[in-house]
Amino acid sequence: MSIQRRTFLATLGGSVAASTAGCLGSFTDDTAEGAITGEELTLTTTTSTYDTGLLDEVNAPFQDRFGVTVDTVSQGTGAALQTARNGDSDVVMVHARSLEDEFISEGYGVNRRDLMFNDFVIVGSADDPAGIAGMEAATDALETIAETESMFISRGDNSGTHTKELGLWDAAGVEISSGGEWYLEAGQGMGEVLTQADQQGAYTLADRGTYLSMRSDIGLEILVEGPVEGGPEALMNPYGIVAVNPAVHENVSYDLAMAYIGFITGPVAQEIIEEHTVNGEQLFFPESLSENPNFDQYVPEGWRNEENDADE
Amino acid sequence: MMMWLHTLSALLPTFPFEWNYVRTIIEVSLYVSVTAVLISTLLSLPIALALGFTEFRGKRAMTAIITTGMGFPSVVVGLIVLFTVSNQGPLGSLNLVFTREAMILSQIVLAAPVITGVSLAAVSSIDQNVHDAAYVMGGTRLDVALVTIKEARYGIATAVLAGFGRAISEVGGVLIVGGNIAGPDGTSKTRTLTTAIQLEARQGQFELAMILGAILVVLVLVVNALVLRLGDDGDRGGVRGR
Amino acid sequence: MTGVITARDVTQCYDTDPVFEGVDLSVQSGEVVALIGPSGVGKTSLLRLLALFEPPSDGTITYDGVDVWAASESQRLTCRRRLGMVFQDQSLFDASVRRNVEYGVHVRKPWPERLRRNVADFFGSKNGTGPAVDALAVVELEDAIDRSADSLSGGEAQRIAFARALAYEPDVLILDEPTSDLDPRNTDLIEQAVLEASRRDIGIVMATHDMNQAKRIADRVGVLLDDGIIELGPTDQIFEHPRDDRTRQFIDGELIY
Repeated sequence: MSIQRRTFLATLGGSVAASTAGCLGSFTDDTAEGAITGEELTLTTTTSTYDTGLLDEVNAPFQDRFGVTVDTVSQGTGAALQTARNGDSDVVMVHARSLEDEFISEGYGVNRRDLMFNDFVIVGSADDPAGIAGMEAATDALETIAETESMFISRGDNSGTHTKELGLWDAAGVEISSGGEWYLEAGQGMGEVLTQADQQGAYTLADRGTYLSMRSDIGLEILVEGPVEGGPEALMNPYGIVAVNPAVHENVSYDLAMAYIGFITGPVAQEIIEEHTVNGEQLFFPESLSENPNFDQYVPEGWRNEENDADE
Repeated sequence: MMMWLHTLSALLPTFPFEWNYVRTIIEVSLYVSVTAVLISTLLSLPIALALGFTEFRGKRAMTAIITTGMGFPSVVVGLIVLFTVSNQGPLGSLNLVFTREAMILSQIVLAAPVITGVSLAAVSSIDQNVHDAAYVMGGTRLDVALVTIKEARYGIATAVLAGFGRAISEVGGVLIVGGNIAGPDGTSKTRTLTTAIQLEARQGQFELAMILGAILVVLVLVVNALVLRLGDDGDRGGVRGR
Repeated sequence: MTGVITARDVTQCYDTDPVFEGVDLSVQSGEVVALIGPSGVGKTSLLRLLALFEPPSDGTITYDGVDVWAASESQRLTCRRRLGMVFQDQSLFDASVRRNVEYGVHVRKPWPERLRRNVADFFGSKNGTGPAVDALAVVELEDAIDRSADSLSGGEAQRIAFARALAYEPDVLILDEPTSDLDPRNTDLIEQAVLEASRRDIGIVMATHDMNQAKRIADRVGVLLDDGIIELGPTDQIFEHPRDDRTRQFIDGELIY
């Protein structure tokens, strides 16, 4: 099953347009429909989950089953978590474990679940001026880019990808704050950064999903693979989902948030994730269903150990 | 007003993109911007008339504030409105974040100074004789204000159009407070032409982005033509020349 | 003797300089009072006081014995609605002649009727009201009713401005040099209209710098000179036997300002 969002919508859209008679009728209909169930769930998430069309495919059956409208706001991990901190969203789906842990530790988030993963890849133009193609370790590749001062474009937007990239530079021992003109911060989403890197012949770190969804439009190639294709574990890109703590923000729709988390980590949605493809390629790998659940997913990483240390 | 959208959809059976998606985006754009401009006009005209007619302390300062507001960056307005309507903000209890109402609020803040500023210039350019004539024929203050509005109608129409142009073409404010939300079936909730263009460009869907851009330009042109036409017919009673 | 409108011991100052001081002037129904005097002497300021644009710095203005500026807001509006004024400069609304001439009648109607009328107009109803057609006839412009104001010549515009003031049948007309920029024919038409207005028992105060015009149509003439009305009397007397030597000098063109 590989329904392309656009074609799927084109079919649907045609019939809706044909059946809508009044001028502003569709507005009032929308509102009325929302008012009957009276339920809206606000999900703040990253651009990668939304732009790949995954959420449209997951949310449609959720809305059908629960009669709940999911308002998806795609922002970037940092902004998504901040919106949730302000109590302006009910549930957050992001991909930066360190930031998620911070969010939970501060008391804003509860009931975190591992959702799915894919991986990051280092992409660049085919002529590969720094010569990083095929390197085993991501850190080696970044070190080489820094040494040769080949142009690298960073998201620079406090997103999950940006957080991961900064961690990798750190691990590679490269001080990018003292970097030169070769290191550019775009402050933009993944799509824009890939387009920029393509136009300027630069390297960048991209999540595989967004890269695959755009590969046909750009000339960038994968130079260092992620773990999905046998690359280093350091390029792992795990997505988590967290409900906003109703004890901190009493206005949030906690029960709907938990229903959503239950649905998206359940068999139906996990299968949709498994089968979601763009240009024939699988973008995300479901991670929620396991006979031996990883208990670490519910709490900040290393939390139990700290407690044990304190007890001893 | 939106009948032509449906007519257009009938004319375009081979439209290459999902029509429901495009149509609802246009509807949200028009709904938000038209509402914001109507409210802004109701707020702005009395202010412009008051500023144009009366002398008081602080008038210069107020005019300066309005002029500054005309060029206020939309992202800053978006942020301020977001803080205001956010759950933690003063209007938090109204739950306006990521709604069309919040977008309208943001666009009012953007459009009102433009409408006030341009209307003020139009109202100030009306000859004192005209006010005097309305007054001496027995007009009350309200009558004089109405006559001034009528006399300045082209300038005010320009003001409203400038406000509409600013509202419908800004992206920063509506993106921040609206969240650019569309449902899985492609029905826009808070996605406007501008935020959709940004999103489609981000996703590399440049063709759709260009089409949305063209629709935006056509929309602004059509609204301009309609408003100017209305201004011409509304109170033109007489036959020119003889 | 008190008239329809009376200014008593009126002083008007701008900043602290008095424009004129201690002016007494009264206008009866049906009489034409001409105000003559050199430019800059305050004729317009005096007329604006009579037209109730602003209160005088000192003194009183009364309409039929009512002290206008001591009266309530609504009484003052009633007084205001008994007068009309024609300005020296073009002051027509950018609309049809019909709307211009009907304006005074229009604002006197209650709001529901005004709104109904506006809606009817929007859909093209063109029922002329009696007073408007009649007033246009006085200035011989009945045919202009459907023209737009900006298609009129200067003389026609001024005649429309006169008709506009006449249309709501005021008790007093205040004319501020209405013919100063007009050709002889339009001047004559305005003068005839002034006389027609006086036959309708309207009291008229008209500022003019044209001595012959004053002789032609005024019953009484006031001479505004040196901070006040130095002489006020029947037209013949002012021109033939002025009591004040300055009046004689002004009339003979000996006073150079």
